[in-house]
Amino acid sequence: MFASFIDNLTIGLTVAFSLSNLFYCFVGVLLGTLVGVLPGIGALAAISLLLPITFHLDATSAIVMLAGVFYGASYGGSTASILLNLPGTPSAAVACLDGYPMAKQGRAGVALLMTTVASFIGGSIGIVVMMLLSPLIVSAALKFGPAEYFSMMVLGLVAASTISSGSALKGIAMVVLGILLGTAGSDLETGAGRFTFDIPELYDGVSLVVVAMGLFGVSEVIASIRTIRRGEIDRKSITFRSMIPTRDEVRRSWMPILRGTGLGSFFGALPGTGGVIASFMAYAIEKKIARDPSRFGKGAIEGITAPEAANNAADQTAFIPTMTLGIPGNVVMALMLGALTIHGIVPGPQLMAKHPDMFWGLVMSFWIGNVLLVILNVPLIGLWIRLLVIPYHLLYPAILMFVCIGVYSINNSPSDVVMVMVFGGLGYAMRLVDFQPAPLLLGFVLGPLMEENLRRTLLISRGDFMVFLERPISATVMAITAALLAWAAFGALRRRPAKAIEAT
Amino acid sequence: MQTRDYRDIIGGAALIALGVFCAVHAAQNLPLGTVTHMGPGMFPMALGYILAGLGVLVAVPALFRPGRLPQPDYRSLAAVLVSTLLFALTIRTAGLVPAIVLLTLAAVLADNKLRFVEAALLSAALSLLAVLIFRVGLGMPIQPFIWPSFIPSF
Repeated sequence: MFASFIDNLTIGLTVAFSLSNLFYCFVGVLLGTLVGVLPGIGALAAISLLLPITFHLDATSAIVMLAGVFYGASYGGSTASILLNLPGTPSAAVACLDGYPMAKQGRAGVALLMTTVASFIGGSIGIVVMMLLSPLIVSAALKFGPAEYFSMMVLGLVAASTISSGSALKGIAMVVLGILLGTAGSDLETGAGRFTFDIPELYDGVSLVVVAMGLFGVSEVIASIRTIRRGEIDRKSITFRSMIPTRDEVRRSWMPILRGTGLGSFFGALPGTGGVIASFMAYAIEKKIARDPSRFGKGAIEGITAPEAANNAADQTAFIPTMTLGIPGNVVMALMLGALTIHGIVPGPQLMAKHPDMFWGLVMSFWIGNVLLVILNVPLIGLWIRLLVIPYHLLYPAILMFVCIGVYSINNSPSDVVMVMVFGGLGYAMRLVDFQPAPLLLGFVLGPLMEENLRRTLLISRGDFMVFLERPISATVMAITAALLAWAAFGALRRRPAKAIEAT
Repeated sequence: MQTRDYRDIIGGAALIALGVFCAVHAAQNLPLGTVTHMGPGMFPMALGYILAGLGVLVAVPALFRPGRLPQPDYRSLAAVLVSTLLFALTIRTAGLVPAIVLLTLAAVLADNKLRFVEAALLSAALSLLAVLIFRVGLGMPIQPFIWPSFIPSF
């Protein structure tokens, strides 16, 4: 056991330290920080933008780079929160609460350094959790049949739509819509064309890149053009000297960082939840157990370190269900899954056995990426601050250009660009009536897998639906799902929608 | 404030319409099969009805509560959609650079922050960037310019 663990680490280090993977890891975290710092482009939009480019790379490099964008954005996301009171990413929204007051007191430098340190500790412990937990989950998952897979996917989708988005009902509706969209194209078993309307472009179904870029790239641009305002930043106040925290701040930070990390590791590994909910909960807990809760909201250091540690730990452990079960816990992970599938690699219990180089190479690249991020975020902070001053009206035409070229380059097909336009308009309409696009994409990715497993289960059980309740693992998972639904329904009746928590 | 929550009424109604359409379309055009041996139509049909049901749950309570009407930003919407459409129409017929120039010029119409000269400079800068990244850097087979066929190429 231990010897094979060391073997795996060696394989991983060899892969991660190969020149090309180092390069793509660096490019990934650099781009991630960039999109994290700039409000108005989320990690999601950035990853969907980069997806077409990764088709030209080998699978490991592609996933190393995309993962770097994902956790890199979490580091960068807090920069805009602290300096402008404008979160760069949804999970950095909490950092506004105490980060911005600190900046107004002239302690922006300390806040920026401490969030980086907290992110690094959270991320590092998250990686260790992933390394230890993944093999255990894989050995359990090898016993899974189609019924267990179907139940797990239902749980993941229900959890994602009930816990993290505004209205659970609308979230579930979006999941169902996503699954429906995923059925378009040729049926896996019979080859019958579904919802193709005799349009040749639809025979292969709708491509993931097109849906993701339309819903997250184009519609985000439409919604941001007139809403994003650039604030004024006092650039000169952030010097290296201003970053040194007081002894009291360090003493008050390390326990919250560890608590945040624990919370983040747990919620990250749970399918359907993730960094946003972990960071909000970490904040709430620190405030609750603080000796003087009134300091919160006025620049309490724990108010930024605990949530930042939590969301970075969650970012790393989110890879556990994705890589070991093939069930993505959040939309970014759904995109990762899509990227792997496009490369012909099916994430799931077989992944670690079949592609140990990829799995352990990815894990090891997380270490490299996290170290690179500390370097990128502390000495280069001046560069990122300068970027924050770029006005959005110069930025959004560039984003649109990258969307169009990226989509066009996949198949050299102008009709894909037209489809992105359609999904962009649709995504904007969804925002207007308050429907979240994230559960839709999650349903879209999981839909075909769910249908396959459902059909297989019912074939084995001769049409008996009780099979989902007769097999113990499946029954447990279904019970948790039912409990979540009941909790969501109860919450809706009590009319206390968690408005502050947005979908990841 | 409106007397009814039109936002959710519109959203719910859209879900109902979409769900019923998908269910009926699947049931009429595809073999349904049996539960034991599902045909290609069964799963989409079931989902369609579930979606319509969820639409009812969204729309009906909204009839009895006040709400706000959504305020679309038509100008940004139109500018962005037209700019992507222009790109799609010109990339094959005129080439990458004209497509980006048209895209940029349409996109900046969403807000009035740039004057024409500035927009032209931005489109030139973006074209150069795109050619450098995608053509030179990544070696993608995208033509920067495609001359109309009546002009002899050199």
